[in-house]
Amino acid sequence: MPSASATPASAATPAVEVRGVVKRYGAVEALRGIDLTVNTGEMFALLGPNGAGKTTLFSILATLRAPTEGGARVLGHDVVAERDAVRRAMGIVFQEPAIEQRLSGRDNLLLMGLLYGLPTAAARRRADEILGQLGLAEAADRPAKTLSGGQRRKLELARALVTDPKILFLDEATLGLDVDARRGFWGHVRGLAAAGCTVFFTTHYMEEAEVADRIALIDQGRIVALDTPRALKARLGGGVIRLKTDDDTRARAWLVEKNFTPEAEAGAELMLLHADPAAVLPELLRHLPVKVLRAEVKEPSLEDVFLKLTGRKLAGDEAPAALGAGGAPGGGRGKGGRP
Amino acid sequence: MMLRGIWAIVVLDMKRFWLEKARLVAGLAQPLLYLFVLGKGIGASSQMGGADYQRFIFPGVLALSLLFTATFGAITIVFDRQVGFFKAVLVSPVPRAAIALGKISSGALQAALQGLVVLPFAPLAGLPLGLGETIALFGGIALASVTFSALGVAVAARFTSTTVFPIVSNAVLLPMFFLSGALYPLSGAPRWMQIAAHLDPVAYAVDLMRGALLDKFFFSPWLSLGVLAAVIALLTWLAVLVFRRGEDDSSLGATQFNWRR
Repeated sequence: MPSASATPASAATPAVEVRGVVKRYGAVEALRGIDLTVNTGEMFALLGPNGAGKTTLFSILATLRAPTEGGARVLGHDVVAERDAVRRAMGIVFQEPAIEQRLSGRDNLLLMGLLYGLPTAAARRRADEILGQLGLAEAADRPAKTLSGGQRRKLELARALVTDPKILFLDEATLGLDVDARRGFWGHVRGLAAAGCTVFFTTHYMEEAEVADRIALIDQGRIVALDTPRALKARLGGGVIRLKTDDDTRARAWLVEKNFTPEAEAGAELMLLHADPAAVLPELLRHLPVKVLRAEVKEPSLEDVFLKLTGRKLAGDEAPAALGAGGAPGGGRGKGGRP
Repeated sequence: MMLRGIWAIVVLDMKRFWLEKARLVAGLAQPLLYLFVLGKGIGASSQMGGADYQRFIFPGVLALSLLFTATFGAITIVFDRQVGFFKAVLVSPVPRAAIALGKISSGALQAALQGLVVLPFAPLAGLPLGLGETIALFGGIALASVTFSALGVAVAARFTSTTVFPIVSNAVLLPMFFLSGALYPLSGAPRWMQIAAHLDPVAYAVDLMRGALLDKFFFSPWLSLGVLAAVIALLTWLAVLVFRRGEDDSSLGATQFNWRR
């Protein structure tokens, strides 16, 4: 039995502690031994392609699923044995809507307060307060379904904040929002983090992950890297050269022959890591035996880091703008659809 | 936390119900059809005589209305699980038992409200309501509503698909209604139907309400009260179990992690 008394939630207690977590769905191993620690007040991102285990880990921390092996603590409380203590302390925004669309924002927040044991008058006051803070006061009395996508997401955040959580879990919270709405949403989240709230989030928008203090890259149920965004990118050293030629296969063969190491990428480009890409590019362009259609030198992105570490691309990164524009593929996406 | 949790669930459901208050009127169609079309038609050629038959089936039709309203309320569970506010409920510290009890309470409340809307048609069916009868009938409505709501929740909580539930519900509800003696006297029914009625909670509810109005009982009222109380207790327990079991999803017996290394 974990002893609750021995682990009071103090400044020394990590906000999230995951030790050896394995989760199996029948024969499928969704998590294969996850260890990580999130410090209090940290903004922590979990980044990985669909099916990497993000949502499963998220669900375990959010007390919606129990680990098959290992354990996890949120603010010092075991997510299985002290489920209710975890639930009281956290706020959570799901990828799918979790507000009653036919009721007003105010009613949704009032109900949330009641669920957490506030008396009606106090729940009402708290709802008004949060609506004001998030700039939703004017839309508060309209049925939630009549709000814009950005307002609805803010309302989800408001719902999570009703109980003044010490830790906020966000699962792909801005999926399907346009760039402006996403910026507005993260503005609020950063404000909360600045005020000392721990934020643990999953995303597959690179620029959203960049705001995190630390990022865990997850792939096939394992953490493949865990560091600050800057340190992760520094792992690659130098920069990235991307080339598009009229014969990539031949170009690749030539590069290998000249002792370069092009990444085995699935995309329609060649990618090359180099300590000094700007210096080597002119050389390459002069000697490559194929016609170069496009050449690009850039700082390594998290995408590049992920690719280097796993040999796989993160999903949905090619055209983030297009993804952001309206009717994104919504809640389903094969997540949480497991038994 | 338990009582506040139940209260929160009831407030949620009643707020949603109030958005669809037109359902109270739409919900009149079925009982009135039974009462004034079926009742009149069959009554005209039954041994009981038209007026008597309508009087006779009124409590049965009332039960029908309660049964369908209560189980319809329970269907929201199936829908809610997939999307919506209920997800937020599931990650709140509300005890799972409170969720089940709240759902049963709000379903019963909705059914009772529907019952109160049907009640004023009693005089038109030849049943002038005296004070004593009305009070006794309220008791019957309350008990029947809770029973049917507990039934709905205990069944609905087990389903994850909204499309299957109505089918199952019809396969369960209609037989229960037809075997309950709502539309014919059980005393004149074949033996096997009488036996089946003994196993049908709807039959006891109908008999209690009919007794309250017409002072004619098939079962002893004490037996009916006892059976309904037992059925409510059993179904509530089953519903609570289902909500509790949802906690650990597929992992049978999640291991408790030893934090002391």
